[in-house]
Amino acid sequence: MIHGTKVWLALISLGLSFATGAGAQTAISDPKPATTTKATTPAAKNGTKPAAQLGAPVMSYGSSTAPITMEVFTDYECPSCRALFEQTLRPMIADYVANGKVRLVHHDFPLPPPGHHYSGQAARWANAAARVGEFAAVEAALYDNQPALEANGSLEKFVAAAMSAEDFKRVEKEMQGCVAPGPTSNPSGGVNFAPSRGACSLDTHIEQDIMLGEKVPVAATPTYVISYKGTRLPAGSGIVSWPILKQFFDSLLSQ
Amino acid sequence: MTNETRRRWGRILLVAGRIALAVIFIYAAYAKMKPQPGMPNTLGSVKTSLSMFAMGVDSYQMLPPWAVSPFAHLLPPFELLLGLWLLSGIGLRISGLISTALICAFIAAMYSAYERGLTISCGCFGPGAQIGPKDLIRDGLLFLPLALAVTIGAFLIHRKRGAATLPQAAPSATHAD
Repeated sequence: MIHGTKVWLALISLGLSFATGAGAQTAISDPKPATTTKATTPAAKNGTKPAAQLGAPVMSYGSSTAPITMEVFTDYECPSCRALFEQTLRPMIADYVANGKVRLVHHDFPLPPPGHHYSGQAARWANAAARVGEFAAVEAALYDNQPALEANGSLEKFVAAAMSAEDFKRVEKEMQGCVAPGPTSNPSGGVNFAPSRGACSLDTHIEQDIMLGEKVPVAATPTYVISYKGTRLPAGSGIVSWPILKQFFDSLLSQ
Repeated sequence: MTNETRRRWGRILLVAGRIALAVIFIYAAYAKMKPQPGMPNTLGSVKTSLSMFAMGVDSYQMLPPWAVSPFAHLLPPFELLLGLWLLSGIGLRISGLISTALICAFIAAMYSAYERGLTISCGCFGPGAQIGPKDLIRDGLLFLPLALAVTIGAFLIHRKRGAATLPQAAPSATHAD
């Protein structure tokens, strides 16, 4: 074969590959800058039990009839979880969750010490807040104040600042008997039960979330599982930016 | 072992290596583009899989936001065509070099993510397990040497062919009796 022909064939092959990739990208639009807002969107009140994707959700945002469900396993002391919440989940809640396209479900997966001394107890506070309908505010408060939280574990202060005094009293009541530390995941599998387990009714939900995470399996936080019209897709982990996630949701919704 | 036997074995190994490398790239492309389980076999599902791959690329936190999606949508078709190119055997030196460079880039990206403590999926053959030493060993000790062997083999074969086609030296003028 003539040498020049070989080169032309190679160039045509490369050109075809670019054309194929460009064709697959026809739906891409320029990503709009993400707008970060405080979590003021409605969270599911305690008592609503939408149809389970992976298991019975306790804390969620958005409509149970949304075609897409995103379940996120996080730890309140995990920096990547904070980044995901601030950069991705917040704009998602304000946009696609508010518009009924996505339902966001939170699952606790508190990691054990070292480095995560307060994660179990933070999960307890979030669950207690969910019982009185204040989950969104407390989740935002815990992530917004993560650096300070890690410094001295002053969870109560941040939770109290996120709601009215009356609601905080109700949350405190839910926290009765829940002496730190709270339950955490076990790197070898299963749950590190809290010493005060028998006295704290909130631990059951956290332990259930951890066991659910073991089935995924959650190897690190954040891990997310997306379901579309009942079809569960492979789990992903790490930080994903809102424009990229939005593009993925759009490709699902366009089917 | 005679030179001829050595040359024959060299060619056989080069063909086998080329085919193995081609299969790896073709499979990698297929794994990234195939519809996810439960999704219909449509172009829309392929686009969804590519968007999912874009999420995996994004999690590496190496590319600027504007580059993630184009890269994720171009890489799998490029891998497919690279695999087909390797399979054809045409321009093996160039395709070998490109394969080697690509695998080096993948190893660098995985190592960077591992070094930064990112617990993310490799994404090499679709969504799956977290990046770990196993992926680095697989790529560094298996795929990269294979690509290097194919590339070096292609250059050696080309050099030998070039030497074989050099014109023979013209005979000197006959001596006068």
